[in-house]
Amino acid sequence: MTAPDPTTAPSYRSSVQADARGGFGGLLRAEWTKLRTVPRWPLALLASAALTVLVALLSAAGSESTASGDGPADPGRLQIIDLGHFTYLPLAGDGSIVARVTSQRDGGAWAKAGLMIRESTRRGAPYAALMVTPGHGVRLQTGYESGGAGGGTAALPHWLKLTRSGTAVTGYDSADGRTWRRVGSVRLEGLPRQAPAGMFVAVPDTVEVRRQFGGETVSGRPGATRAMFDHVSVSSSQPGASWRDRGGAGGPAADPGADGRAEAGGTFTLKGMGDIGPNRFADDITRTTLTGVLIGQAAIIALAVLFVTAEYRRGMLRTTFAASPRRGRVLAAKAIVAALAALAAGLAGAFGSVLLAGPVLRSHGMSPPSLADEAVLRAVLGTAALPAVIAVFSLAVAVIVRRSAPAITVVLLVLLVPQIAATGLPLPAARWLERLTPAAGFAIQRTVTRFDQAISPWAGFGVLCGYTAAALAAAAWLIRKRDA
Amino acid sequence: MEATIEVRGLRKRYGAAVAVDDLSFTAGPGQVTGFVGPNGAGKSTTMRMIMGLDRPDGGTALVGGKPYRSLRTPLCGLGAMLDASAVHPARRARDHLRWLAHAGGLPARRVDEVIELTGLGGAARRRAGGFSLGMRQRLGIAAALLGDPPVLMFDEPVNGLDPEGITWIRGLLRSLAAEGRAVLVSSHLMSELEGGADRLVVIGRGRLIADTSVGDLLKAASRGRVEVRTTARQDVMTVLARAGATVTATGGDAVTVAGIPSEQIIALLTQAGAAFSGIAEHRASLEEAYMELTGDAVEFRAVTGREAR
Repeated sequence: MTAPDPTTAPSYRSSVQADARGGFGGLLRAEWTKLRTVPRWPLALLASAALTVLVALLSAAGSESTASGDGPADPGRLQIIDLGHFTYLPLAGDGSIVARVTSQRDGGAWAKAGLMIRESTRRGAPYAALMVTPGHGVRLQTGYESGGAGGGTAALPHWLKLTRSGTAVTGYDSADGRTWRRVGSVRLEGLPRQAPAGMFVAVPDTVEVRRQFGGETVSGRPGATRAMFDHVSVSSSQPGASWRDRGGAGGPAADPGADGRAEAGGTFTLKGMGDIGPNRFADDITRTTLTGVLIGQAAIIALAVLFVTAEYRRGMLRTTFAASPRRGRVLAAKAIVAALAALAAGLAGAFGSVLLAGPVLRSHGMSPPSLADEAVLRAVLGTAALPAVIAVFSLAVAVIVRRSAPAITVVLLVLLVPQIAATGLPLPAARWLERLTPAAGFAIQRTVTRFDQAISPWAGFGVLCGYTAAALAAAAWLIRKRDA
Repeated sequence: MEATIEVRGLRKRYGAAVAVDDLSFTAGPGQVTGFVGPNGAGKSTTMRMIMGLDRPDGGTALVGGKPYRSLRTPLCGLGAMLDASAVHPARRARDHLRWLAHAGGLPARRVDEVIELTGLGGAARRRAGGFSLGMRQRLGIAAALLGDPPVLMFDEPVNGLDPEGITWIRGLLRSLAAEGRAVLVSSHLMSELEGGADRLVVIGRGRLIADTSVGDLLKAASRGRVEVRTTARQDVMTVLARAGATVTATGGDAVTVAGIPSEQIIALLTQAGAAFSGIAEHRASLEEAYMELTGDAVEFRAVTGREAR
């Protein structure tokens, strides 16, 4: 047997080369083909969406509003609180009210004493309130939101002035009653000609949180505050009108010693309980409906991890890299395909949850907020995006550790443990855990600013995306550096 | 591009263990090049470095004159089957080829063409997990042929196959080479390449031991030995040993003689009256030649866990 001389033997030419295209589109199609041709994997996507919706339906069916028929809704379900003590006169048309706050006692840094003009005395009516607070200076608040224009510190006694001009209500403050500083202005559309105007006190509830693993006991005790006003003038009130009061909520809990008005020689002493502002204990119905994604994500995590480790385990990654030696592009294609598939499952899960749980909640006497609400829509779309980001995070972790069990464990740990461990830690420690770990991403599901909010929705989502970007960068570096 | 694999001074170490040590060889067009060595000799590592999967610590490996990773459409440059079991068991054979065609930028028609070519046929619709070893080898070869490449590389393609499968693969390798392709095929058993390879690259402990044509290797291994058939083995051995030859009993009625040419053997035996029924130049088997070459290069499997993976 003699070997042909290599230098003279004619070389073979590939018949396919002319038709072959190297491109990113091909890689995306390849990864999509891989994903859909292992039957378990599309099933995992379906299971993720189905579990998310199932949890939403179960929690909706298990919810029961204490309010029935046309009675008042359970205060705990309301998004706002409108309590405190309000002493008022009807203000005739445009005008202003001036008073000097001389003392303020009890209630903490956000105890409120000041002036208010509102559409009516009905609870939940639009208002503008100018106030002094012990810890946050002079503030102009409206719309049952916390914070408000103003700030700094205000030494007592302190002058306040609230003027109405059409629908505009403007607040001023002064240390001496002569030089006024403008604090801010708000518009109250629909303010009637005769609007109740006067002095008020309000105070946030004191929150007691006792936590143990797996749950927490939250009790909010209504705080009490009192303040004294003098130099009260209203220009101009209805002729012959007298001061009237709107106190706190009635009922057995009402304490007559903590709520009321006393007047002596032009000095008013107002005592009140409860806040005017957001209900920091409000139920976040949308978020509760969307918690199913915590369960649904397990399927997504397993899928995204196996999408990578199945190739490592069988040496299939070598075939992949043989077809496309540019490994960074392979990783990018894999991440895009996994993210889009998880996003589809996320959209089905999130919208399915809200749309299917809505009727169930309504039949149980609850009133889930509509999708038209900006915060609700953000929460639903964010919940759909969570599986996509989590899929990319899982995929990157899988590339880094290369084995299924450790990768799935790591991802589940960093996403779930902070949320469980937080319930067993002191509140401040729990807050930091929920701010600094990838679990912060679930903040995107919040539609209500609550006492236990650790991080704002978008910031939390940003934290998760940051971890994902870092993991992906590490994965890209390792996948290029390591032998396949 | 030229149908060649050129390996120059390739080195690779894993920690303290040297896997490939200054290895150079060439596989040319129109030839089946056997790449032989004991388990753990560095064959698979070398193949991975040729494909740019493992980074060499030194030296170069070129496919058609270029590093594999710089090929624009690599599947059209080199097709490889490194591990026939590198398929997801839940995926249908056709889907496996389909994603590979997408990833390599190849037209989808190639999937059906290679299924036809490798005789996968109806099995292409079955999930790869249920495949016999033989079917998996066919799938692996189909994947290697997707880009119709001028260079092919198979790692232990006949390992564990039944005789029918071995015959099929041998025929396929020969016909691929006959088309002008370069075919590099590794094996740890020389006998698997008997009659299948034109050239042999023999390595042991990562080093080149021999790079030769099969004919030259056999000639060298035979080293002028003569086989004598006799029923009087004892007599023959005594006579020839006394004349200074090295005599080995190789069977019930045969001895192998080294050291004296056949004419002298005939003369000696005739003179001594020792009966013999035949005398022939000894033809060494490839296995024999290989054992002689690699005798000191055999490593224990345990030392080279990476090769076994």
